[in-house]
Amino acid sequence: MTRDELNAYRLVKEAQETELRAFTRRHFLKESAMGLGAVAMGALLGSCGLGGKSNNDILYDPAHPLLPKSPPFLGKAKSVIYLHMAGAPSQLELFDYKPELMKMDGQDCPQSLLAGKKFAFITGVPKMLGPQAKFAQHGESRAWISENLPHFSTMADEVSFLKAVSTDQFNHAPAQLLIHTGSPRLGRPSMGSWATYGLGTENQNLPGFVVLTSGGSFPDAGKSIWGSGFLPSVYQGVQCRSEGDPVLFIKDPHGMSRDLRKASIDAINKANELEYATYNDPEILSRISQYEMAYRMQISAPEVMNINDEPEYIHEMYGTQPGKSCFANNVLLARKLVEKGVRYVQLFDWGWDAHGDGPNNSLNIGLKNKCRSIDKPITALLLDLKQRGLLEETLVVWGGEFGRTPMMENRNGVQNPYNGRDHHTDAFTIWMAGGGIKKGYTHGETDEIGYSGISGKVDAFDIQATILNQLGFDHEKFTYPFQGRPFRLTDVGGKIIHDIIA
Amino acid sequence: MTLLSIWDFTGRLHPVLVHLPIGILLLGCLFQLLTINAKFSALRPAIPLIYLLGGLGAVFSSISGYLLSLSGDYDGDMVGIHQWLGISVSIVSLSVYAMCRTKIKETLLNFTAIFLIVLITLTGHYGGSLTHGADYLSAALKDNGKGKAAIPAIVNVQQAVAYTHMIQPLLQNRCYNCHGAEKQKGKLRLDGKDLIIKGGEDGKTLVPGSAEESELIKRLLLPPSNEDHMPPKEKPQLTPEEIELLKWWVNQGADFNRKVQDLKQSEKEKVVLLSFQTGTERKEHKQEEIPAGKVTKADATAIEKLKKAGVVVIPVLSTSNYLSASFVTAKASPEVLKLLEPLKKQLVWLNLANTGLNDEDMQTISKLDNLIRINLSRTSITDQGLALLKGIVHLQYINLVGTKITTSGVGQLSVLKKLNSIYLYQTGIGRADEVKLIRMFGKLVNLDFGGYVVPTLEKDTIEVKPL
Repeated sequence: MTRDELNAYRLVKEAQETELRAFTRRHFLKESAMGLGAVAMGALLGSCGLGGKSNNDILYDPAHPLLPKSPPFLGKAKSVIYLHMAGAPSQLELFDYKPELMKMDGQDCPQSLLAGKKFAFITGVPKMLGPQAKFAQHGESRAWISENLPHFSTMADEVSFLKAVSTDQFNHAPAQLLIHTGSPRLGRPSMGSWATYGLGTENQNLPGFVVLTSGGSFPDAGKSIWGSGFLPSVYQGVQCRSEGDPVLFIKDPHGMSRDLRKASIDAINKANELEYATYNDPEILSRISQYEMAYRMQISAPEVMNINDEPEYIHEMYGTQPGKSCFANNVLLARKLVEKGVRYVQLFDWGWDAHGDGPNNSLNIGLKNKCRSIDKPITALLLDLKQRGLLEETLVVWGGEFGRTPMMENRNGVQNPYNGRDHHTDAFTIWMAGGGIKKGYTHGETDEIGYSGISGKVDAFDIQATILNQLGFDHEKFTYPFQGRPFRLTDVGGKIIHDIIA
Repeated sequence: MTLLSIWDFTGRLHPVLVHLPIGILLLGCLFQLLTINAKFSALRPAIPLIYLLGGLGAVFSSISGYLLSLSGDYDGDMVGIHQWLGISVSIVSLSVYAMCRTKIKETLLNFTAIFLIVLITLTGHYGGSLTHGADYLSAALKDNGKGKAAIPAIVNVQQAVAYTHMIQPLLQNRCYNCHGAEKQKGKLRLDGKDLIIKGGEDGKTLVPGSAEESELIKRLLLPPSNEDHMPPKEKPQLTPEEIELLKWWVNQGADFNRKVQDLKQSEKEKVVLLSFQTGTERKEHKQEEIPAGKVTKADATAIEKLKKAGVVVIPVLSTSNYLSASFVTAKASPEVLKLLEPLKKQLVWLNLANTGLNDEDMQTISKLDNLIRINLSRTSITDQGLALLKGIVHLQYINLVGTKITTSGVGQLSVLKKLNSIYLYQTGIGRADEVKLIRMFGKLVNLDFGGYVVPTLEKDTIEVKPL
């Protein structure tokens, strides 16, 4: 080392030492004050709900997506049976008795009701149409129920009516989506998906969310109405049938033995496990568990879903039509499924769209026939759940996607050939029973012609909030992170309808 | 901005400003007292400055306080006391500052410091009473009034005097605090017939016969976010029934003397009125679905073993250690049932439906003495096995559907005082035994015999055809 080099080395060394000496305790405190402040600030903000760890833990275990889970609160209901009358039944011929409307029958609709309103078909000035059914009060609760539902009338003291439900969608598909997914547009998870995502299902040999349709046609909103949206696909509704094979292709094809089936599923799963080892995609685990469940379901589903094993008097009670596909069969099946631990059973019955454009779509013919097809089954369902001690923990919901106008429909300004009513968003009736809901109660009221709610108004979000509440969830905290923000079923709306909770 | 609103604004700063002199002056007093100990004598030079700052703060607070009192929203007497106490704090603190600068005895300064502390405390107390009500502090010591019904339950609502027994207590508990003898926000008092009729600075509060035009009702119905909503959103709100009651009272002419039964009531209003009557709200006695007390976490290995056997064991809610167990997909073999024993403290709900459980197995079940709900439907148990449940004193729900239980067998359970739901469909017991069972269990028990029939009506099978 030359002298110059040595000097240079000493200089550098000295500079380093001086610098180190400058880092005293005081220096540390001075320099780190800002940092400590920021830490404290973070803690404070965290407690305000800003910053910090967010509260969106994903409840999803891809290897066992449907294992039962505890709700955050004590839920009164363990299962839900949702009876959706697709097409929207007329509240004015079933539950919302309006004698004043009878007095206006045949008169021109007052302009005040039409100003600024949009209807699906009504144009110009339609005529008012009085109730097309006789009403009477039933039970100790003195609830008004029409002659169209003679059996259900005996259930007046078991249910809570919501008389002033409203929506903002006047077409079937968006209105159905709104009620079941919380959005009138496609892409959100349905209520049954949220329920199985949050609670799993008790019976691992059956799907947790079953969908049954009747009435000869699918609901207008199509299958996305029971889709899982952005939730893992395992939570979507499984469509089953009440006649023939409960699930299509559930039987092993001819020549395929049970052992061979098992061997092939094992082989597929092994391949999937390798795939998972490479890519770590949780959807692969979910697929493996789906294969295993399908295998188990091949044994258990045909047994549970076979309504023919039920005794004759039960068939008689529900008014089933064995061998056919009908609402009554689906209702009986729904009871069997709930008994076996299925979390959410969604029924759709098509054919309630009584516009009056044909006999089957009229209030005096088609609607009466539809009522006859559901009256006995829904009554039997409530009574059967009750006698089995299941109504306490099963929430039953009945309703359509919107209501019907107090005016007679005049399509394109021309009177329809039969008595019918157009789609109406401002007021309709939904009822709930069991699962911790008050018995024999009516919430909300409409004006004297049943045009809009005047008290106790509720909307789709309120109903969803209430259903989630009965299952043990706070609808404002039950979220799933998607596209960078937490999503809820009730979006930014929803108030629990405390008045109908027992 | 007008001059007036600047004064108003400064006045409203008072509640913020007052905390400055309180803090600063108390610090001064504290320093003064600390210097008694020689160890703290180094604090001495700081004391005069602290008193000066505190004193100036007190002066500003007094000025803003005076401006606030001009609004007239506060009770005159109490404002007077608070005002003069506040002014004395200013004077005393500035005098102490002056005293510190002269050579005065330390003991005298110490006594002044104590005096100043007392003065500040008193001033603060009266200030607090002005904003939060005179009974604010004492209420915390007495019975906590939160969640208490604003209207005491009435034995017979129809016999009650509408104003005296219902409206007046409601106003007293929800309105008097700000519109009473102590405070008169908006120059309105509601504590008396004449005062209610007189109204406040915005005019009349009542239009007898028309709730819709009455300011009193209108403000209740505004959304809570509205500034004019009453009571202010941070204060206890009226329940929907209470609002309906007030509306009804105003619509019926806001009468101060008549009984409820002498005033007109619609069907709906009758129901609302009835809700204020004792005991009508809850016909059945409600019970807790899980025990109120806490319990230790259950043995994880026992749970794991049960899960392996196909039993669904989960906490009843995610934050609780109490468990529910369901055998919906499991066989209830004696070995598996034995696994429940270590969980006896935590297990509250048990579903054994369709398991082929027999009387012998009930020995194990009888040890699970924290059970609240048990489903034994479609099992092979008989009266003998059922008798073993007599010790499960918390039991509320028992499902015996489809078992061979008889009336005398169920009767053994009448010692269980909490039992309120018994399901007896498809047993040997029928509706004929109802009277007997009610005698044993009392009327409040929900006995369900099932066997409901939905008769086929002629119309059910006929299709309506177009004419």
